[in-house]
Amino acid sequence: MYVAVKGGEQAIARAHRWLADRRRGDRERPELEVAQIGDQLRLAVDRVMSEASLYDPELAALAFKQASGDLTEAVFLLRAYRTTLPRLAVSEPLDTAGMRIERRISATYKDVPGGQILGPTYDYTHRLLDFLQLAGAEVPPAETRDDVTDAEPCPQILELLNDEGLVEQAIDDGSEPMDITRDPPDYPMDRAARLQMLARGDEGYLLALGYSTQRGYGRNHPFAGEIRLGQVEVEIHVDEWDETICVGEIALSECQMINQFGGSREAAPQFTRGYGLAFGHNERKTMAMALVDRALRAEELGEPISGPAQQAEFVLAHADSVDASGFVSHLKLPHYVDFQSELDLLRRLRREHAARQAELDSARDTASPQPEER
Amino acid sequence: MNGYNFAYLDEQTKRMIRRALLKAVAIPGYQVPFGGREMPMPYGWGTGGVQLTASILGADDILKVIDQGADDTTNAVSIRHFFQRVAGVETTTATTAADVIQTRHRIPETPLRAGQILVFQVPIPEPLRFIEPSEQETRLMHALEEYGVMHVKLYEDIARYGHIATTYAYPVKVDGRYVMDPSPIPKFDNPKLDGNPALMLFGAGREKRLYAIPPHTRVESLDFEDHPFEIQRWEHACALCGSDHSYLDEVITDDQGGRMFVCSDTDYCQSRRGEVA
Amino acid sequence: MGQRHREQREMETRERVAGETGSAAWPGLSDPAHDSQRLFRQILGAMSEPGTLETLAVPVPPSDALGAALWGVVLTLCDLETRVWIAADLDSPALRQALTFHTGARITDDPESADFALLTHESFDPQTSFALGSDTYPDRGTTLMVAVERLANVGPSMLSGPGIETTRALDIGDTAGCRALMDRLAANRASFPQGLDMIFGCGARLAAVPRSTRVTRADAKEVN
Repeated sequence: MYVAVKGGEQAIARAHRWLADRRRGDRERPELEVAQIGDQLRLAVDRVMSEASLYDPELAALAFKQASGDLTEAVFLLRAYRTTLPRLAVSEPLDTAGMRIERRISATYKDVPGGQILGPTYDYTHRLLDFLQLAGAEVPPAETRDDVTDAEPCPQILELLNDEGLVEQAIDDGSEPMDITRDPPDYPMDRAARLQMLARGDEGYLLALGYSTQRGYGRNHPFAGEIRLGQVEVEIHVDEWDETICVGEIALSECQMINQFGGSREAAPQFTRGYGLAFGHNERKTMAMALVDRALRAEELGEPISGPAQQAEFVLAHADSVDASGFVSHLKLPHYVDFQSELDLLRRLRREHAARQAELDSARDTASPQPEER
Repeated sequence: MNGYNFAYLDEQTKRMIRRALLKAVAIPGYQVPFGGREMPMPYGWGTGGVQLTASILGADDILKVIDQGADDTTNAVSIRHFFQRVAGVETTTATTAADVIQTRHRIPETPLRAGQILVFQVPIPEPLRFIEPSEQETRLMHALEEYGVMHVKLYEDIARYGHIATTYAYPVKVDGRYVMDPSPIPKFDNPKLDGNPALMLFGAGREKRLYAIPPHTRVESLDFEDHPFEIQRWEHACALCGSDHSYLDEVITDDQGGRMFVCSDTDYCQSRRGEVA
Repeated sequence: MGQRHREQREMETRERVAGETGSAAWPGLSDPAHDSQRLFRQILGAMSEPGTLETLAVPVPPSDALGAALWGVVLTLCDLETRVWIAADLDSPALRQALTFHTGARITDDPESADFALLTHESFDPQTSFALGSDTYPDRGTTLMVAVERLANVGPSMLSGPGIETTRALDIGDTAGCRALMDRLAANRASFPQGLDMIFGCGARLAAVPRSTRVTRADAKEVN
């Protein structure tokens, strides 16, 4: 006698225990500490914070650990936690010109005021596996120039082009930006809303889209005007005191892309810009974001929309990894009721097809004369 | 659950959803945008339904959660647990005992009564989405009541297969105005939408849309004069309770092609067996 | 400086001021999470079954022009994300203070920007330009909360449509304003999906008529 499958509750509880056991791994080895992850897997933590849209290195490290290193799962964990947080204050706009610089490069000038600062980068490392790390070799401490870590704030390189009016200005019109956490998407979206969505967007997705613009699907001739990483102060205004106070510092990556000029009969030609910003050390993400930001400005700048990266609804609606992974993974949920509907229809269509075929065959047999012998 | 508000969502989020629900009820079948939030379960796993349930549920309510018509499917179990934890509500598997029923992919076989609320989980709320991918375009089509493309799509099925090939998420027209996606319920359940005495609410979390069918509302499945809407029928009766009028799941019983058919609505099947016994 | 932050601060300041000046005589909900849930379910019931009467258990406000039921609706639905328009005959410093104290709602003089409007059958003016929503976003309209003369399920208006199995009678009063309100509701059909949704209050009683409802006079032909 068939008995409907039961015991879903028990199965779930056991699966979760198995998962926790797998995560812990071999008990002979020490358990990973969250602090170690924050310290030694810094870039993973930064990516989790960035896409979860919550700056909290410790909790991001915890999410990474809890997700057994699955970045998408870690982003989801931290984002879900973010939902429960009250909003206590809204910061003043961050001033990245005042950044305490760790890295700052420009591809558009050989040298710039303040200097090119490579900082802690994988660029120019030869991608050779370092077997010494398998053996646990000691790592010598870094040598940094004193004048770099305590450097005076460096001017934004794109501002240097301003004097001549060569590069377009992004003017703050003072309007309240849409808040993508609280307001449902309402297409078409303005740039402030688009940038928020891109900043949360999945890095791999933005990378592929940005790359596609370089290969001709909405080309816009980018130059890396400036990339900077470092610490920026977060300030809030306290009305009671009528004063702005610093509430802490966060690490940020910023990319200012300079793109081919626009202009018209009325407006003199100018370089245009694409912009990327992310929590922590997230350089690749900011570059991809800047390319996609610029691509999404096609309509505003009167360019033909020919590439996928220029189609705002397509790009923005599919950028969030929490959305995407949720909906793809939901295919694992039972769908047998709908599948039964499809089975039923398919069987019926095949029966009818077979009947029609048989009818045709018999009609042909009776109607057509016997072929003449040759 | 310590540290979280009653029913998980904060009061401000609930108010936002409640205001949207009132508009949804006032404009039956129209998809109201709402500021959907991330929930502690993945998008696509019922976050829209969960947010709606969290916004309407009271401490005295009795909650039932089904997936595929069954109370014991894993996701139904998981969502039921969630509300037991965050709202401490009583739960039931009995359709008749429930005040609020959250469902994925089915409408219970037991007729609903006035005062009950059925909350549907919706993956893609836009019935025109697979014909027109752009939200800006479909919004305009709803505004202009321009639903010709939907009929064209259904008619293409007829031309190709001799039948309308949509077997679930079969589009309906609500109160003669809005074409609406009833969520991926089998079309077998569509007639239950029409004139139902219960309030039906639909939540799409990832797409941030919610909509409603008030009680006793006219809901028609789209069709053609020469191809009227029809529902699935089985040559079998339920192997467990003998029902010849409920939606049946096909269960493979061995590797010789053996199969049997049983009610997908587990509560309905069990209560029938209880009556017989 | 973010708008919302400012508003939150303002609200806190107002709370202090209100506390000092005693506008807290307008009662709030004693158990906000559970009370507002209970009230919302009644409002949802009223809106989804137009014309049905609900009696709301809400502490009675000091001014009876608005009535306990509508005050309960305000406490349940309004917060700092909503704009409220108040008709002259209900407007008072005490109500304004109570509204901001308990909900943080923004008070607006522009009916077209209001999410909710508080008025009475006497102050209802069909010419007031409340938001009707648009054909693409019909939900972006003003919900009217109207204190009416009485609420009973007898003639003269007959309601039908979504939420009503056959027909339902509704009587909100005999005044010119009450008649104008029902005429306005009857006119909703012509502009659907744009339109006005109304919540009526009379003391602790409440009924709602959304734009989807067909309104006819029991003693006349269909109005539209």
